[in-house]
Amino acid sequence: MHLPGNTRFLLTLCLIALFSTAAGAADELEVIDLTAHKGKVVIVDFWASWCVPCRRSFPWLNEMQAKYADQGLVIIGVNEDTSEEEVAGFLADYPARFEIVRDNEGSLATEFGVVAMPSSYIIGRDGKIATRHLGFKTKLMDEYEATIQEILNAAPQVAASR
Amino acid sequence: MAVADSVVAVVAVINQKEGSPVIKKKPKSVSKALATATCALLGTTAMPVQAQEEPAWEFDTSLLYYSEDDGRVQDVSIALLARRLFADDKILTLGLTVDSLTGATPVGAAPLDVVQTITRPSGNSTFDVAPNTLPLDDTFLDTRYAFNASWQQPLGRLYNGNVGISFSKEYDYVHSGVNAGISRDFNKKNTTVSLGFALSKDDIEPIGGTPMALTPMLDVGDLSNRLGNETKDVVDLLFGVTQVISRNLLVQVNYSYSDSSGYLSDPFKILSVVDPITGDTLPRVPTPGVDGPSHQFLFEGRPDERVKHSLYTQAKYYMSGKVLDISYRYMTDDWDIDSHTVDARLKFPIGNASYIEPHVRFYTQTEANFYRATLSAGEPLPLFASADYRLGNFDALTAGAKYGWKTGSGHDISFRLEYYMQDGDVPSGQLIGNQLQRDMYPGLNAIIFNFSYGFGL
Amino acid sequence: MSNKKLYSMKLIFCVPALLAISACSSLGVEPWERDVLAKDEMQLVTDPIEAATDDHIYFSKEASSGGRGFGGGGCGCN
Repeated sequence: MHLPGNTRFLLTLCLIALFSTAAGAADELEVIDLTAHKGKVVIVDFWASWCVPCRRSFPWLNEMQAKYADQGLVIIGVNEDTSEEEVAGFLADYPARFEIVRDNEGSLATEFGVVAMPSSYIIGRDGKIATRHLGFKTKLMDEYEATIQEILNAAPQVAASR
Repeated sequence: MAVADSVVAVVAVINQKEGSPVIKKKPKSVSKALATATCALLGTTAMPVQAQEEPAWEFDTSLLYYSEDDGRVQDVSIALLARRLFADDKILTLGLTVDSLTGATPVGAAPLDVVQTITRPSGNSTFDVAPNTLPLDDTFLDTRYAFNASWQQPLGRLYNGNVGISFSKEYDYVHSGVNAGISRDFNKKNTTVSLGFALSKDDIEPIGGTPMALTPMLDVGDLSNRLGNETKDVVDLLFGVTQVISRNLLVQVNYSYSDSSGYLSDPFKILSVVDPITGDTLPRVPTPGVDGPSHQFLFEGRPDERVKHSLYTQAKYYMSGKVLDISYRYMTDDWDIDSHTVDARLKFPIGNASYIEPHVRFYTQTEANFYRATLSAGEPLPLFASADYRLGNFDALTAGAKYGWKTGSGHDISFRLEYYMQDGDVPSGQLIGNQLQRDMYPGLNAIIFNFSYGFGL
Repeated sequence: MSNKKLYSMKLIFCVPALLAISACSSLGVEPWERDVLAKDEMQLVTDPIEAATDDHIYFSKEASSGGRGFGGGGCGCN
């Protein structure tokens, strides 16, 4: 597949879910395409179970997702753990009310050029990455929220074209 | 796992500067990369929101029993460390330690084939030493209280700073100090450079007053060669580099500089004055009607400055659940003492919650240039002299293990049992006459037992 | 201690240290690969009380002390 050069920038995360039972039975393939979130503001948040600030960010991310869902905010937490047990343990203590995807080989993190954990990339309605936040500081929560509101309210910059 | 087929993602990449994103189109096949990404629609269930909070307080407690054999020093110590964690990685640390010391310690006098009588440091009475035994002073009773506090916080994303104070008191010694440090991360936090300094001011207030260096030990009640209290100042500087080598290996290299000035001697230590041929301690004629030393002893005297340089390196290596912690330290100073320390620990997990950690430590040092086993009558008095075995030429070995576990409620318990031994000798050129047949250098054999309990609130 | 010894000691340490920052830019892991380094048992000082206890014992019985530093390692978060 090849996207023409002058197509608007679209970030597509194609994620393949591979479910295997403990007995290693049948595999299911599920593709999740971010084009489903076209026109929405998407926060891609890279996290891991061993990342202490992530424990503080999850309740806040839950709050943001709930508060701005109807304005078109979608949060996707990309997990960098290599052990499913650790992920399950973390999510049991700090439940996520937003989409979680696994990136246990770090390929998505590499693609995004993640330089700190956690990292949040906010993608505007036009599909471009508007900003990123490195780390999570509780004293900056209001600032983070203000940025989200700004991006939610921004007029689309690039007209759609094929 | 099936590899995703020809999926091409266009990834927008922003440049490093926040707030001014430059978008570059980067067509790329990420099929291989995405192959193992697992998507789980977790977290969409309507669960109660209250997430488990991190503990705000962490407490560590410790009970130590240290005991040397042959009636030497025994120490029982209780320590408490409290850490208060604040939002955004700020930490307040408070520590309190109480030590209770009993037992006897070598005074520096040489063993002799007859009974020796030595005046106690206080100058109030004497004690006797049996023939052919190492002279020990058993009035070494003391309780020490130590307190320290520190604050640590990030300064921006790449810097971290800390400041602290320390204080300790025993009946004849008071220490107070301040310390501060800063560290900066580089290379996506793979490299950390640290700078630290510490200043301390100690007050030495021995009972009876500080003895004048290299003057004779006198009769009971005679404090004519005693001065008042003394002070000691220490400046410590540290420069360190910590480097992540791989996912499983972390290395640190530190250079330390330490400059002590003031009263650096031990007010309770003496040297025997011996016959230059036989090597036997010379008898002394006590004043009639007064108790006093039976033989000739001089109080020790050390230089009033000491500059130390240390190079310390440590590695932590993770090997499928086991952690190896190995370190080496080289120390050299202007007293001509050189030392090497190698310390290794290996932590083995046992099941899910417990572990065992064997530990071994090798230590070796060369003697100070003013270390003297004894002083010979008639030789010119040196500027500095000390028979303190801690400034001598010896090797030491620590061997033991720690066993610990995490309880159901997340508390940490551990027991540690170690054996510490020192073995050294007087430099051969220093032994004279009958001394060659005697055991002139005290060894040391001690047990270290430590129980610790840690919990969070 | 002689000046020559001090000079060579400084050189042996300073040169690698200065190189560390630049040369070490090729060493290390990505920020999301710090799961092992984040573990409690992989910190440079895993048990502060034990370290302080031992430091005090050896300071009382030997002529050397200290050496340890602070900073670095860990999860590298924030």
